[in-house]
Amino acid sequence: MNEASVSKEIYLSLQQLLFREARLLSAERYDDWLDLLSDDVQYEMEMPQRRFREDRTQASAPKKTPIFNDDKRSLLMRIGRIKTGFVWAENPVNAIRHIVSNIEVFDSDKADEFTAYSIIEIHRSRLDAERKRFTAGRNDIWKKTASGFQLLKRTVALDDGVVLDSNINFFF
Amino acid sequence: MLLPEKTLEAHDVFAGKLTMDDLETLIDFKTGRQKRIIYSDPDIYQLEMEKIFGRCWLFLAHDCQIGNPGDFIRTFMGEDEVLVVRQKDYSVKAFLNTCTHRGNRLCKADHGNKKSFVCNYHGWGFGSDGKLNGVPLEAEAYYNKLDKSKYGLIEVAQLACYKGLIFATFDKSAPSLEDYLGEMKWYLDIWLDAMPEGTELIGTAMKVELPINWKLPVENVSGDGYHLGWAHAGAMTVSSSSKLTDMEVGNTSVDNSAAVSVAGLNGHAVLAALDGKSGYAFYPDPEIAENYLGKNRENVIDRLGEYRGKNMWGSQINLTVFPNLQMLPGLNWFRVYHPKGPGKLEMWTWAMVDKEMPEGLKSMILNNVSRTFGPAGLFDNDDGDNLQAITEQSRGWRTKQMDIYTNMAIGGEHSRKELPGVVSNGLICEQNQRYIYRRWQEMMRANNWSGIPTYNSLEEARATEAG
Repeated sequence: MNEASVSKEIYLSLQQLLFREARLLSAERYDDWLDLLSDDVQYEMEMPQRRFREDRTQASAPKKTPIFNDDKRSLLMRIGRIKTGFVWAENPVNAIRHIVSNIEVFDSDKADEFTAYSIIEIHRSRLDAERKRFTAGRNDIWKKTASGFQLLKRTVALDDGVVLDSNINFFF
Repeated sequence: MLLPEKTLEAHDVFAGKLTMDDLETLIDFKTGRQKRIIYSDPDIYQLEMEKIFGRCWLFLAHDCQIGNPGDFIRTFMGEDEVLVVRQKDYSVKAFLNTCTHRGNRLCKADHGNKKSFVCNYHGWGFGSDGKLNGVPLEAEAYYNKLDKSKYGLIEVAQLACYKGLIFATFDKSAPSLEDYLGEMKWYLDIWLDAMPEGTELIGTAMKVELPINWKLPVENVSGDGYHLGWAHAGAMTVSSSSKLTDMEVGNTSVDNSAAVSVAGLNGHAVLAALDGKSGYAFYPDPEIAENYLGKNRENVIDRLGEYRGKNMWGSQINLTVFPNLQMLPGLNWFRVYHPKGPGKLEMWTWAMVDKEMPEGLKSMILNNVSRTFGPAGLFDNDDGDNLQAITEQSRGWRTKQMDIYTNMAIGGEHSRKELPGVVSNGLICEQNQRYIYRRWQEMMRANNWSGIPTYNSLEEARATEAG
């Protein structure tokens, strides 16, 4: 993999963008978030599997199972559901914070495309004293366009082998 | 090695707090009433572990998950951790996942392939057949006097397979799996035996921990079509490509003649639309699935007969195998619930498909199962808060003394010559929940399997009705 470092300018732009994106997602500003996504965006997270390190049974291993395997159309469907006002789990509003850290940005083999690694920690305060926490690694490809950076692909690596909340009505 | 005989009786478990007479008052089958305490009481939960999870046939694995000798799955029977292992002769054995020396967990991986299982504590090694093969320092520390044949892994009492699904029970006196399933087999076959090659699970289990009593999602999927148009109004608005029994978002209309609720099948239950295609109502692009149904329907009619082949194969159907296995052909999910205490469970969901389906359709189904009923599922994400709240609302000192009700469509139960079991009209009907709780009560009060009735028709269900 070509992991050539990028200019300070590119790094700072993408860092600021990832922070802004986190703020948009925490504020449920989904239309503004969608503007950051390329029309052919791929948004993926798979269910973790707990296997032995020495397990080499790749051929007979279960196929990877997505938690998210979305394109723009299905992301619009998810956001459309939340916007119907019929998602009772989100009313009253659940306070949510997206904390982004460990950002690294590299040049890719393709012109104007950059790889960005980051870690995301999501806290949700739900009913009464209920608090939920998710941590995940993210591997993004962002493309620099005339109108700014756009997300081409995000691969989210969730840490939990058993998901610890009854819904994921939010994005990583 | 078999499990030792159980010596625990109900009155020991209740420790003087609840009596068997109290047990009688928890459920009223005739009027469709439950005491809320059944979702929160720790003594009732302990009795469920003994009387239900300790005696029923429980789903362990699909044949396809452990295809090769040494392949294993780590799963649960109640709160007992179990390893299911394919043997050298391709038979299947299931053991408690625990070292017989000091009680450590033997295997920590979800699945994989192993020639032997070695305990991390002192290195005792067990073969995939469960035999204790290796004890470190056997001569120096045990003077070669340890009878290793007495310390093999503890096996389940009975294990059997029905058309690809492997089940086991801890009770050696339980009826055969075939008898346990009874006429439910006729409904299971709509999925398991529609196509010559049968079914397979694809992908790994999507696991979610929920602060919910295990009975609540079971009763929900067994019969609660009522919540669809309301609890899932947001998901139905954006994901329906066609209507299911003319159900409207907001529960403003439904055609209850287009579907059936079926129960009285030894505690198992079925919800079924009868249109032969609505299983794919919640797919954004159902055409590939509809083509598959069209191409194979004649063949399925040959195998299952006219009624199941035409009206049921391809329909939205909810199948519940008591106590904790559910599968939905069409939406194509397959799910087991593992209790983790009175107020907690783990829900494991897979996508299940016909082996003959083209790869493109299988991938579409895997994605759709995840998108509708996975951990970030458009539908599944609506159920958690409701069922969690019911669990929590059954804890309050005053609130838990209240009753709650499944008294919809009482008196609508009838027989149909084309369908086994007790039938009521429609997906919106609470007959199935009443029968689930009837079975729950039958299991809870019986001291052994001879006291648990068998019924597969309205006549038999009425003849065996208590009190």
